[in-house]
Amino acid sequence: MSTNAPEFRLSGAHALAGIESALKSEFRLEEESETRFDHVYYDSFDWRLYRAGAYLRREFEKDRQHLIMSGLGDDSPKESVAFTGDMPRFYWDFPESGLKENISDILDIRALLPLFELRGVSRSFRMLDDARKTVLRVQLKQGSTYDAQGRMGTHVDGIVRLVPVRGYEKFLRKVSRFLTAEMELVAVTGSLFDELLASIGKVPSDYSSKLDFWFTPDMYSEAVARHIHLHLLDTIESNIPGTRDDLDSEFLHDLRVAVRRTRSALTQIKGVFPEDVVERFKPRLGWLGQITGPTRDMHVYLLAFDEYRDSLPERYRRDLDPLHRFLLVHQRTEHEKMVKQMESEEFLQTLADWRSYLVSPDPGASALPNTRSAVSETAGKRIYKIYSRVLDEGLAITDESPPESLHELRKNCKKLRYLIEFYRSIYPEKDVKPAIRALKILLDNLGLFQDLEVQALKLQEFAHQMGKEGEVPPDTLLAMGMLVDGLMKRQHQARHRFGQRFALFADKENRDHFKRMFSQGKVKQAA
Amino acid sequence: MRIIGVYNIKGGVGKTATAVNLAFLSAQEGHRTLIWDLDPQAAATFYLRVKPKIKGGSRKMFRGKRELDGLIKGTDFENLDLLPAEFSYRNMDLMLSERKKPARQLLRLLRPLSEQFDNVILDCPPNISLVSENIFRAADALLIPTIPGTLSIRAYHQLLDYLRENKVRGVDLMPFFSMVDRDKHLQAEVMQDMTASNPEMLSARIPYDGDVEKMGIHRAPVGEFAPQTNAWEAYRALWAEVKKRLK
Repeated sequence: MSTNAPEFRLSGAHALAGIESALKSEFRLEEESETRFDHVYYDSFDWRLYRAGAYLRREFEKDRQHLIMSGLGDDSPKESVAFTGDMPRFYWDFPESGLKENISDILDIRALLPLFELRGVSRSFRMLDDARKTVLRVQLKQGSTYDAQGRMGTHVDGIVRLVPVRGYEKFLRKVSRFLTAEMELVAVTGSLFDELLASIGKVPSDYSSKLDFWFTPDMYSEAVARHIHLHLLDTIESNIPGTRDDLDSEFLHDLRVAVRRTRSALTQIKGVFPEDVVERFKPRLGWLGQITGPTRDMHVYLLAFDEYRDSLPERYRRDLDPLHRFLLVHQRTEHEKMVKQMESEEFLQTLADWRSYLVSPDPGASALPNTRSAVSETAGKRIYKIYSRVLDEGLAITDESPPESLHELRKNCKKLRYLIEFYRSIYPEKDVKPAIRALKILLDNLGLFQDLEVQALKLQEFAHQMGKEGEVPPDTLLAMGMLVDGLMKRQHQARHRFGQRFALFADKENRDHFKRMFSQGKVKQAA
Repeated sequence: MRIIGVYNIKGGVGKTATAVNLAFLSAQEGHRTLIWDLDPQAAATFYLRVKPKIKGGSRKMFRGKRELDGLIKGTDFENLDLLPAEFSYRNMDLMLSERKKPARQLLRLLRPLSEQFDNVILDCPPNISLVSENIFRAADALLIPTIPGTLSIRAYHQLLDYLRENKVRGVDLMPFFSMVDRDKHLQAEVMQDMTASNPEMLSARIPYDGDVEKMGIHRAPVGEFAPQTNAWEAYRALWAEVKKRLK
C-alpha cells in the first residue's frame, strides 16, 4: 500500500535548519506537529532478531508505549503492538498480538535486552497543492544515541524523510529531485539501525553459542587447540554477567556448555599440552561445572514445568502448584549460592590462570608429540579412535545391558560430537554434515534415555526434600508420583528404540563414511 | 475487510457527511480505511480535497482494464484513502449492465483490495438502480440515514420490499435518524413510532447542525475542525454502535 519513504541524512549542526528554509522557499509547507521521540532498541544477547533480519524498538508517546518490529533492510515497520506498564522481557510477557506470535518463534526462551536509545525531536510538515490538499509529508528529525548505561553515543544531526501520499507520487519525485540536485543530498538505502549500532560501538552478531571456526588442514595442532580453548573461554566469560544477573536461563546454559566443551577438549586433544598442565586444570575446570549444576537443574525443571503439568489429566494439574513454588524458591537460593561462588577468588583465579596459560608460549609443549603436527593428521586420528570406541561399546549393548552401559556410550558420543565440531572447518562441509546428523540421531535417543531417568530420580528427591521442609499435601505427592511414572514410561520407550537407532548409526554406509573422512583423512584441499 | 454502504433511496439525508465522518473515525482508530465515492456529484471527493477524476475514465475501470489499486488517492489523514468519483458515474448503470453478472461487479472490483484495507465505506448515490443492487450485494452492512418524517418511513419500506423481492440476504440493515431537529414535535412522534416498529433502528441520532454544514467550507470531517461539538459526539456514538453491531 505504501511506497517507500526515501530518507536523507545530514551532518553538521545547522544543516537541518538550512534544508528547512530551502524547502520552504521552494514549496508550500505547513508545519503539522513537533514531537519529542524516545526510542529504545532491543535484541536478545545472541542477536536473534538481527539474525532473523529484524529489530525491535519501543516508542514512548504521551502515556502510551508501542513495540514495533521492523525489517533490517529498509527500516519498514512489520508489526506493532501497544502496551502499558513494564517493558516485556520475554515473548510470553507480550500482549496477545501478531507481533507476539511472530517474536515467540524468534526469541524462544531468550530475554530482550536494551541495545541503545535514540532520543530527539521530530517535526512534521505537510506539503500542499493549490487546492490546499496534502500531497506529501516531510519529516525532519534530529537526536542523539545513548548506550544501555546511558552514555551518549553520537549526535544524529539530521534526517529528512519524505512520506508520500498515495496517488500523489509525482510530488515525492519532485521534492526528491530538489534535495538531490539542488541541495546535493544523497538518499540512503541502508538501514539506520546499523549506523546507530555502530555509533555506540556495538557489533551485531558478536556473540553466538555455536562454534564457528575457520581452521585450515595445515595449521599446527597446538595453535588450533589454543584457539579452540580461547574461544570457549571467551564464551564462558561473556556469559558471566547475564548469569549473575539471571537475565535469562540461556546465559548459564551457554556457560555450562562452554565449560563442558573445554573439559572435553582438554582431555581429548592429546599431545599438545603437557600432562601436568592437563592434570592441574582438569579438576579446577570440573569445579566450574559443579558449582553451576544445581541452578541449572532448577532452570530445567522450571522450563519443563508447563509440559509436566499438561502431561497430567486436567483435575490433577493444580496439585503440582506446591512443586512449582518449591522450584522457584530453590532456584533463587541455588542462584544466590552460585553467584557467591562465582565471585570467589577461586573462580576468578581459575579463569585468569587458564587464560594466562593459553596466551603464553609453553616451552614444555615443544617436546610433545603433536604440537607441531598439522591438525589434519591429529584430528582425524583422534576422532576415528573415539568413533571406534563408540562402535565397540554400542555393539556390545544388548536388551539385557544395564542403563550404565548406555550412559557410558552417551559420554563417548558427546566426546565424538565435540571433536567433530571443533575440527569441522578442516573437512568439506558436505561430508561433515551427514556425520553430525547420524551422530545427533543417536545422541538424541541416548540423551532422552538418561535425562528422563535423571528427572524421575530428581523428582523423587524433591518429594523427600519438600517433606523435610514442611507439610506437603498428599495430592501433590500423588501428582508427582504420576509424573515419575510418566517419565519412566517414556524412558522405557527410549530404551526400546535404542537398538534401531544404533543400527542406523552403525550401518555400512555410515561406517564407510566415517572411515573415509577420519581414518583416511579426507580433509579440504588447500585452495 | 468489512464493507459498509451508506445509502438511502432519497437524496439530501446526510449520506455523504455520514460516510466521510465515519471513515475518518475508523482511520483515527488505526484501521486502514477506504472511502469509495460512488455518487457522480462527488461530494465526498470534494470534502476530502481530491480532484473528481478517474485516470483513464470509469468505463475502463468497470471493464477491469484498470485495477482500483492504481486509482486510489491518499487523503490528508493517516490511514484514510479515497477512490474518487467523477461525473461519468452518472452512466454507471449502463457501464455495469454491459458486464456479465452485472449485479456483482463492485464486489469483484473490491476483492483484490481485501489485503490492503480493514474497512471500506461506500458513499452511494440515491435511487434504486443497478448500482444500488451492486452495493446491497457487496456490503456487510447498510447504514441508512433517515430524516424523521413520513416520506422517509415510506422510502425505508420501499427498500425493504425491494430487498425481499430480489432475494438480497446477508446484509445487516442499520437505519438511523439523521438531521434530527429537537424543536420539531412531529419528528419526535415519528421517531418513537418507527423505533417501536423497526427494532433494527440504531439508537444514535445525528442532529441537524451547523457544524455538519461547515464540512463544505473546511473540506474536512467534522472531527478535524470541530471535535468538541454535539455533532461530532453524535458521529462518535453512531460509529461505536455500528462497530458493536458488526461484531
